[in-house]
Amino acid sequence: MPKTEPLVTIDHFKMTFGNQTVIEDLSFDIKRGETFGLLGANGSGKTTTIRALLGIYQPTNGSLLIDGQPYAVDSGVQLGYLPEERGLYKKESVITVMIYFGRLKGMSRADAEEWSMKYLERVGLADKAKTQLDKLSGGMQQKVQLGVTIMNNPSLLILDEPTKGFDPVNRRLLMNIIEEHQAAGATVIFVTHQMEEVERLCDRIILLKDGKASAYGTIADVKKKFNGASLDDIFVTIYGDPTEHEGVDHA
Amino acid sequence: MHNLATVFSFEVMRTLKKKTFWITALSFPVVIGLVIAIIFFSSEATEKASLDTVNQKFSLAVTDESKVIEPQLLTQLNAKTVSSKQQGIDDVKSGKLDAYFYYPADLTKEKVQVFAEDVGLFDNNRYQGTAEALLAGSVTATTDPQIVAILQKKVGFDSKTYQDGAEYDGIKQMIAPGIFLALFYILIVMFGSQMLTSTTEEKENRVIEMILTTIKARTLIIGKILSLIVLAIIQIIAIMIPILFIYFQFGSQLSLPSVDLTNLPLDPMRISIGAVIFFLSFLLFTGLLVAIGAAVPTAKEAGGFFGIVMTLIFGPLYAVTLFISAPTSTLVTFLTFFPLTAPIPLMLRNAVGNLSVSDALIGIVILAISATIIMAIAIRLFRYGALEYSKRLSLRTLFVTDKKTSR
Repeated sequence: MPKTEPLVTIDHFKMTFGNQTVIEDLSFDIKRGETFGLLGANGSGKTTTIRALLGIYQPTNGSLLIDGQPYAVDSGVQLGYLPEERGLYKKESVITVMIYFGRLKGMSRADAEEWSMKYLERVGLADKAKTQLDKLSGGMQQKVQLGVTIMNNPSLLILDEPTKGFDPVNRRLLMNIIEEHQAAGATVIFVTHQMEEVERLCDRIILLKDGKASAYGTIADVKKKFNGASLDDIFVTIYGDPTEHEGVDHA
Repeated sequence: MHNLATVFSFEVMRTLKKKTFWITALSFPVVIGLVIAIIFFSSEATEKASLDTVNQKFSLAVTDESKVIEPQLLTQLNAKTVSSKQQGIDDVKSGKLDAYFYYPADLTKEKVQVFAEDVGLFDNNRYQGTAEALLAGSVTATTDPQIVAILQKKVGFDSKTYQDGAEYDGIKQMIAPGIFLALFYILIVMFGSQMLTSTTEEKENRVIEMILTTIKARTLIIGKILSLIVLAIIQIIAIMIPILFIYFQFGSQLSLPSVDLTNLPLDPMRISIGAVIFFLSFLLFTGLLVAIGAAVPTAKEAGGFFGIVMTLIFGPLYAVTLFISAPTSTLVTFLTFFPLTAPIPLMLRNAVGNLSVSDALIGIVILAISATIIMAIAIRLFRYGALEYSKRLSLRTLFVTDKKTSR
């Protein structure tokens, strides 16, 4: 499918929390089937934008549409969302939680169980299927959560800092999984500040600073705008002063 | 519907797998059984000890100025009579006698005096027990048995009351509709805490974002509430089976009162009203507890509100006599129709039979509207308080968010 038709359209999005403006005025789109990098320093508004796109936050102004309509669980979008805040039902077994989410995503119990076991085998957790989640290490729990995210072949995959807490081996595994979904035609929104991952996976990117887009376009376009600098250097150029982007809430 | 069933079965199954669920359910009849057993064995042991004590032989002297004590009884006890009170006291002090009883001339104005050697806190009771037994035995021996029975309150009564020409037993009439009141009390006490924390789990486990982007908040909340209702029914069954087993199997040995269920009056109207009030009350308070759980960040903080809710629900029980004796008073009317206090007065008044059909209907409508509103608020609180991981959701936030909501 050609990556020209927008799947996600964000138009003059503004978000305030009390007196604090997190997103000033943001407009961009994400094409169907592309992998899009939503980049920015801590507190730049990446997670806020995702939460508003998914209807968790109500925007102060503007519109955020998926397939031409605000996201709702019954809008027909096959969504896989890995939020920045990680967590599952910790007192339940791995397989119970995976089957539960599989069922909520429309799979039959048998399909959800079969898919889960295959996934757990792939990520080396097959022997932990009946283990209570809080008995697993943080990395193992993340792999389970990633599995829950990609169940039922999502057509839109939103990953908010997916490599956070992963060691290099698991990071490579995650990259492979994302690439498989790209190859299957899924649209991927990748929220991160790991530039090497962005270079490897993303078609286009947007860099947020102070609630606005500082750069937006293909990686080549953005690099060209910054005289051929690497994404790391562009990042440092944009967010040069570390005291400017410390600890902003709700982002 | 598919997701509602999924949430429902997930919540039910994982709760049934928890040991605490069964411990809570089974501990109730076990505790009741233990209390009954302790009371039974304790009273039996005390009775036996008292008999042993009274039957113990000890040397005794008596001065009877009342002329009530039968000399024959004194002879049976090998007790001697002494004319001087001081002599009797001195003999006890010197160890010549174990005990000395002084019966004054006018027993209605003066006390019987017992002087005795100390034989320990419990065994000392034998002296007064014997002094009392001497009096009771003497009176029984010389008085008409009917008068004795009257004085000892051993006369039986068989009362019958009539309503509209038909026999009417107010106490028995209370049993069937009163069951709903008992059930409500047991369920809220045993399940309240679980209701309160049922929605904090998603917050505390940081799973809420994944949930809210997968299913509707309404589906999750309704699924949880339905599961709580079913779990409550399972818990009632788990509580009742052992209780009924103990009652029917060991009731006579434990001297439990026998209830003749065959003659239990069943008033379909009052039972139906009781059932509807019970269901709506349960729904109202489940919604309230779920709403509180959704508005606060942790189960611990939610627990702080439990006392307030319990006071609202069960506070009216302090006015129980008023509900029976003055059902038309302003306070009773207020408590009956104020949504958060209504369940107990409505169920209690329905049980005792002073809730008119019109009052019952008004109460039911109030409960239904309140339950619906509370449920809607609970869903909104869960929806918009979802990401307030570390602070309570304010009402302002809730309603401002609501105003802005266009989806």
